[in-house]
Amino acid sequence: MKESPESDPLLLDHEYDGIRELDNRLPRWWVWLFYITILFAVIYLGYYHVFNLGELSAAEYARDNAAGQALKTASQAKFESTLESLQPSSDSAIVGRGNGVYLTYCAPCHRPDGGGLVGPNLCDDYWIHGPKFSDNLKVIINGVPDKGMLTWKGVLQPSEIYAVASYIYTLRGTKPPNPKPPENLAPAKPTEVYE
Amino acid sequence: METFRYDNRVVRNFAWATLIWGLVGMSAGLLAAVQLFFPDANLDFQYITFGRLRPLHTNAVIFAFIGNGMFMGIYYSLPRLCKAPMFSRLLSQINFWGWNAIIVAAAVTLPLGFTTSKEYAELEWPIDIAITLVWVAFTINLFGTIIKRREKHLYVAIWFYIATALTVALLHIVNSMEVPAGWFKSYSLYAGVQDALVQWWYGHNAVAFFLTTPYLGLMYYFLPKAAGRPVFSYRLSIIHFWALIFIYIWAGPHHLLYTALPDWAQSLGMVFSVMLIAPSWGGMLNGLLTLRGAWDKVRQEPMLKFMVVAVTAYGMATLEGPTLAIKSVNSLSHYTDWTIAHVHTGALGWNGFLTFSMLYWLIPKLYRTSLYSVKLANYHFWIALTGMMFYVVPMYWGGITQGLMWKQFTPDGFLQYPNFLETVLQIIPLYRIRAIGGSLYLLGAFIGAFNLCRTAHAGSFEPESEAQAPARVKHSGVDGKGHRWLEARGLLLAGLALVAVAIGGLVEIIPTFLIKENVPTISSVKPYTPLELLGRDLYIREGCVGCHSQMIRPLRSETERYGEYSKAGEFVYDHPFLWGSKRTGPDLHRIGGKYPDAWHYNHMENPRSTSPGSIMPRYPWLLTQKLETNCLPARIKALRTVGVPYPENFELTAGKDLVKQAKGIVQNLESGMVKAQPDTEIIALIAYLQRLGTDIKLSKPVTASVDGVPSTVVVNP
Repeated sequence: MKESPESDPLLLDHEYDGIRELDNRLPRWWVWLFYITILFAVIYLGYYHVFNLGELSAAEYARDNAAGQALKTASQAKFESTLESLQPSSDSAIVGRGNGVYLTYCAPCHRPDGGGLVGPNLCDDYWIHGPKFSDNLKVIINGVPDKGMLTWKGVLQPSEIYAVASYIYTLRGTKPPNPKPPENLAPAKPTEVYE
Repeated sequence: METFRYDNRVVRNFAWATLIWGLVGMSAGLLAAVQLFFPDANLDFQYITFGRLRPLHTNAVIFAFIGNGMFMGIYYSLPRLCKAPMFSRLLSQINFWGWNAIIVAAAVTLPLGFTTSKEYAELEWPIDIAITLVWVAFTINLFGTIIKRREKHLYVAIWFYIATALTVALLHIVNSMEVPAGWFKSYSLYAGVQDALVQWWYGHNAVAFFLTTPYLGLMYYFLPKAAGRPVFSYRLSIIHFWALIFIYIWAGPHHLLYTALPDWAQSLGMVFSVMLIAPSWGGMLNGLLTLRGAWDKVRQEPMLKFMVVAVTAYGMATLEGPTLAIKSVNSLSHYTDWTIAHVHTGALGWNGFLTFSMLYWLIPKLYRTSLYSVKLANYHFWIALTGMMFYVVPMYWGGITQGLMWKQFTPDGFLQYPNFLETVLQIIPLYRIRAIGGSLYLLGAFIGAFNLCRTAHAGSFEPESEAQAPARVKHSGVDGKGHRWLEARGLLLAGLALVAVAIGGLVEIIPTFLIKENVPTISSVKPYTPLELLGRDLYIREGCVGCHSQMIRPLRSETERYGEYSKAGEFVYDHPFLWGSKRTGPDLHRIGGKYPDAWHYNHMENPRSTSPGSIMPRYPWLLTQKLETNCLPARIKALRTVGVPYPENFELTAGKDLVKQAKGIVQNLESGMVKAQPDTEIIALIAYLQRLGTDIKLSKPVTASVDGVPSTVVVNP
């Protein structure tokens, strides 16, 4: 550190409104930093765009997505093979989780209380696609594309589908105000609805 | 020897405007910050919802606070560095009053919803023209002064001023090309990918040439002046100046990594950002190393304290910027509050602290007195620094937390947090802390304003300062060699600077416009219907783009959540593009068909009725306000002018078409147990939302992805 800048041999002879300039050489590490970043740029562009060695975003996505999709498909297949034997859960933790899933994904069409909006009423005795618990599970898994019910198997995990179906099961027989009227079908027999 | 007088009045005017607009802009920011954890803070008043307040905040801080600060510093330093008064007092006045009239116009029009929606270029076309004229006045004044200077060589600060004046003009004019469709409505000349590229070429370089280069020039004047030390290295200033302006302009596409922008342009944006580290740090080094041997002064002089933090913040932000521009980092950080933290390191730290540094130095000089209270200035310093930490740290934390949550998968390959809202609720406590940080910074600014007012009150203003210098001897043997020789030729230096900044933009923009492979066509993508078009204009008016992106990146975590990733060909009729840059709410590009119409109606009336805990504002006015349809023919014609293939005379039947589509939506709403009027704004907005992202999945089997967005789509190559 120099006490008086005036004696610094690097001081240039010009001044602007009292401002003087030294002519220190560029800090070496700074110069090397610059060179390294330039080298990085050349290598990167060469690797991806001149010699086409690296995957660009679409290819990278395709590979990553295929791997993830395979995991999903495996867990779904396992779940679907057990459907017929499943019973609705009465475990409050599972039903509670199902309630959360219901409010997020189902309530937009079926109303938070299950009374029906765009989708049908889930509280009455009219079950368009079958009253059994496994019928409910199948509708959630595969959807009813013709009627606007979405396919949820890619979205909801098997445990979530089970939880939300268990929650929907608890709505049966509740009487929400101002429900959506049933479609033109005979009600299911009470014995079928309440297994 | 010649005697002449520097005009201090314009400097004083800019100084007070800086201070006033700073307080206004920061207050707007604070209100916006509060709305993010307390949505009712807009009092259901449509003019100050987050979507309209955000551009008001950014414009006020960038163009009003920092813009006036920049002019203040330039109008003080330029004549002194040139040993000549400003070229024209009239142009100085046009610059001051014109610029501030533009800001007032912005403060009126943005809350009214007059916006182009392009970030930091939101102002509508009449104001764009005014900006151009005022900027031309400034540029003439700058070059006139340079031409009439008595100093033979141009000091480094002036190189930066020259680069600023020329590049901002170029950026503003190219990005603001738009076709009017009424007094305060226009459509961008460019569409989709091209609009995005031009916008971020502008947006990034507005940061470079409005917030960085002029302030580097100001640092080169005020820092050595106040420290009484020579600048560390003349050589370093030459190298970092040219490297900075040449490289900066290429880096714009780093705002569009993993988007539908062609890969080659993304890669250029990334590597040029990395190469920017050293040139940026050259400025920081030259600043900090100039203080060698003067650190005792830094301890005593508040002005230098502010300067040191400013330069340090500049160094941090310019290392962070390139880091965020690395694709793998960006895939995590983009759309999160990490970006917000980053820009505030720059705005609060670099620009804010440097502006106050200048004010603390200039006001006592202009009023021929000393600072009213050094103690208060120190309070300001520490409160602002603490405030900045309380702002930036929670935003890093929140941004990284949310980014990681978005990307988290279960071992079975499902999203761990498929519900977007869950990731928002997680970071709301951090939004609260951020607002505390912002309040502290604002408190500091008020203390500073008080201190400066008292200083001015105690002193007496000097309208003009007298100076003496010999006339300039033009081009003689003492011009010097190399760069020194160039410094004696202002216009040549300006010409070379213009060439340096033009190259990067041309290389990136022209191929994207001319080479068809860069935007592959998708035959099923069609222009918006009249009702959807007006709905889209409402989406723009309400500033939805401030919180919702419309750009799904090719990342599994995004396609699982939102659906098929966005393709360049889907945006060919989007004038302007609405990709957004921040996801405070979820992406909306594939929102079409995801929810029933009634859901949207209820959600817009009160988002918390459908999504408990949501921080989105309520939009009850959309349910009652009548949709303005008289503008439709003008809008269709304007869009046709920019290239949307509406058939001839389409505007004559558009009204009928609109009524028909609106009726259909009203019927849908009825089946969802909602009674709505067909002529209200909400109907148009629903029409637009239901159209979004649906064109490419026409006649394809529908499979839900997360949130029910169909994802099996085949795109025409």
